[in-house]
Amino acid sequence: MTTFQVDFQPIGRRGPCRPDESFLEFARELGIDLISLCGGHGLCARCRVQIVEGHVSDPTGADEEHLTERELAEGYRLACGCFPRGDCTVGVPPESLSTAMRSQIESRETEVALAPLVAAVELALPRPSLEHPAADADSLLAALRGRPGPRVDAVDVDVLRRLSPDLRTWDWSCAAIVRGREVISVAPPGSRPVGLAVDLGTTGVAGYLLDLASGEVVASKGTMNPQIAYGEDIVSRITYARNSPEQRERLREVAIAGLNQLAAELCAEAGLSATDVAEAVVVGNTAMHHLLIGLPTEQLALSPFVPAVSDALAIKARDAGLRLAPGAYLCLLPNIAGFIGGDHVAMLLATAGDWRGRHAIALDIGTNTEISLITPDGAVRSLSCASGPAFEGYHIKDGTRATAGAIERVQVTDESVRFQTIGAAEPSGICGSGILDAIGQLHLAGVLSSNGRIQLGSHPRVREADGTREFVLVTEEERGGRKAISVTQEDVREILLAKAAIQTGIGVLLAESALAAEELDVIVIAGAFGSYIDVENAIAIGLFPPLPLDRFRQVGNAAGLGAKLALASSVVRDEARELLDRVDYLELARYPGFSRLYGENCRLAAVEPAR
Amino acid sequence: MREALTAAIADIREEDALELTQQMLDAGEDPREILEACREGMALVGARYEEKDYFLPELIVAGDVLKAIAEIVKPLLQGDGEGADTLATIVIGTVEGDIHDVGKDIVAFMLDSNNFEVIDLGVDVPASKFIEEIETRQPEIVAMSGFLTLAFDQMKNTVAAIDEAGLRDRVKIMIGGAPMDDTVTKYIGADAYGTDASAAVTLAKSWVGGS
Repeated sequence: MTTFQVDFQPIGRRGPCRPDESFLEFARELGIDLISLCGGHGLCARCRVQIVEGHVSDPTGADEEHLTERELAEGYRLACGCFPRGDCTVGVPPESLSTAMRSQIESRETEVALAPLVAAVELALPRPSLEHPAADADSLLAALRGRPGPRVDAVDVDVLRRLSPDLRTWDWSCAAIVRGREVISVAPPGSRPVGLAVDLGTTGVAGYLLDLASGEVVASKGTMNPQIAYGEDIVSRITYARNSPEQRERLREVAIAGLNQLAAELCAEAGLSATDVAEAVVVGNTAMHHLLIGLPTEQLALSPFVPAVSDALAIKARDAGLRLAPGAYLCLLPNIAGFIGGDHVAMLLATAGDWRGRHAIALDIGTNTEISLITPDGAVRSLSCASGPAFEGYHIKDGTRATAGAIERVQVTDESVRFQTIGAAEPSGICGSGILDAIGQLHLAGVLSSNGRIQLGSHPRVREADGTREFVLVTEEERGGRKAISVTQEDVREILLAKAAIQTGIGVLLAESALAAEELDVIVIAGAFGSYIDVENAIAIGLFPPLPLDRFRQVGNAAGLGAKLALASSVVRDEARELLDRVDYLELARYPGFSRLYGENCRLAAVEPAR
Repeated sequence: MREALTAAIADIREEDALELTQQMLDAGEDPREILEACREGMALVGARYEEKDYFLPELIVAGDVLKAIAEIVKPLLQGDGEGADTLATIVIGTVEGDIHDVGKDIVAFMLDSNNFEVIDLGVDVPASKFIEEIETRQPEIVAMSGFLTLAFDQMKNTVAAIDEAGLRDRVKIMIGGAPMDDTVTKYIGADAYGTDASAAVTLAKSWVGGS
């Protein structure tokens, strides 16, 4: 049979597709995990693709039902009912991809002009002699004097401790690693300095090794924060740390040990050793920042919530216990406030291209959600809201982390429900994006009253057991006799409390800036959860203002990207400091009328579904 | 009209409730009738909250309605020996270092609607303020709120300060806010903890013999 060459973009997978094979089937064959809640029957309209080039089968009845005329004209089709009629290029919008698939391809990179703080200088030093008995360090500094830039006049003490034997071993050729006026390492000739960028989250840690001469990421790795053993959230860790100086030291030690291990593993992957790491940039929330370098944390969580230090820090990595190049520095981006740390600053730096010169909201959704409103004049207003762990699947009856089997997408129909699990595995629970979808869909289907009460008789899957109302996603029968997976009345309320916190945060920032939501040009949603949520459903429950979908940018781990940028460029670090000067911090809980606003925002507003 | 006011409060019709209050006063009705309608209305709100028909927004708005009505009516009741038929007096506040008030406000509201005289000290309340209020208002019960687990230490300090002031055996102390258990209660030195607003009401009633 004839086949056609079909090219999926921007994923970059292609192959020969038979004319009787739908794009949905063919995408799956190529390992592209398109969302399909209805099993490819044209019912759920989630597998939307855009035909960029080439001929395909005519639009089906399902296409006409689910897509607007404009979308059809722009080449949008449902992949399940669309077949090739020639070679073609098919665009896959991010929202049509499953979670796991998106995390692989959505690690977007922002171009930055390289301006690292450290650089390697290749040197050939004169041998000392009885006629010219110059000290080794003096020879080194003298050799560096000829080059442009600031006069290098200091050599780190740990470099001095090994300089003499090393120079003799390398026959007086070496690579001096220079940072500003200081030699922080002397390596064998030909060495290239690398840098370590880390997003130190309360739960997860993302590490990247960068070649500082090229800006290229040579290794990356995700791991868990080992402090988890001492408390899952920020406040429980602060509580642990305050119990005694020994416990605070313990948290510091395990975090540093974790970073040393991360550095060693990344270097091993790149065929290097940790002593090649000439600079480290770590971003984290204020508590992680403080715990990493042994600063007291209890004042962070008590009114008036002040950090011990907010300025950017550059300290000797060894003083923090990090084993990198002999004189390497550990750099920490500035903190905005007790609950807004360097990770938020990093996120703002990484997304500057999205918000610069515009009216923008940038937020990172987590147990604490940090939100900034930026205006075209560059002013930034920031606040933090206690959104709680519900969006991460905690405090939800069948809540689970985003692992295989977690229900990540939900669609409620008149008679039933469709869903998709991560990895298409047997459903095991509901993760954050799934629970948000469920509440949004239940609201749109009229199952919930305005205060989130599940209405009996509103849908065949609503039931009441032991005085608790619930909406059943997977029945006992469907699970072969095991406990049903459902969204309970309590779950609905937990999510409404969480969304109200964020909605109130956004509302207060808009009010303080005298802006209407419609005036926002862009909403940047960062972080793991925020990257996978369905924005339409988030709008339906009021989490975000009802703006056209093309104003939303789901940017993934922007904090990690910001750390990489800060590592690669001193200009970006200057921007971080400069940004801090423009930030106006608001304490949400003290905002006049906060509880009334918060209470009102616990409601579900009547909405027209977007689009 | 009293029934209409009760219904307006119970149904959280804010403007209707305030309008009816004014109408009752204009018609020369006893302000105590208005307060009684408030009490009945609040009891209904509380019951609907228990049933999960109501949620946070209703409680917060109902609290605001009550405050607004009280502001109109209270001046007319001066010297009337308020609290004559209350079960007990309760001093409530969020302890120093913590500024969360939503949960504390709901507890205060539920206690109020269950016939307790509630003295709300607000948030970020230092131990000295609690002591001052215990001395001047002679409450039977002190309720301390802390949303942060870190507030536990300040609760402990507050209880210790009340003890040092020689007032500990004059009051029962309940705590709530962050997740708590018997160990925490013992650590802080309180008499009991509550996990939600209805638990606070049940506790308070059990201490003063109300039903």
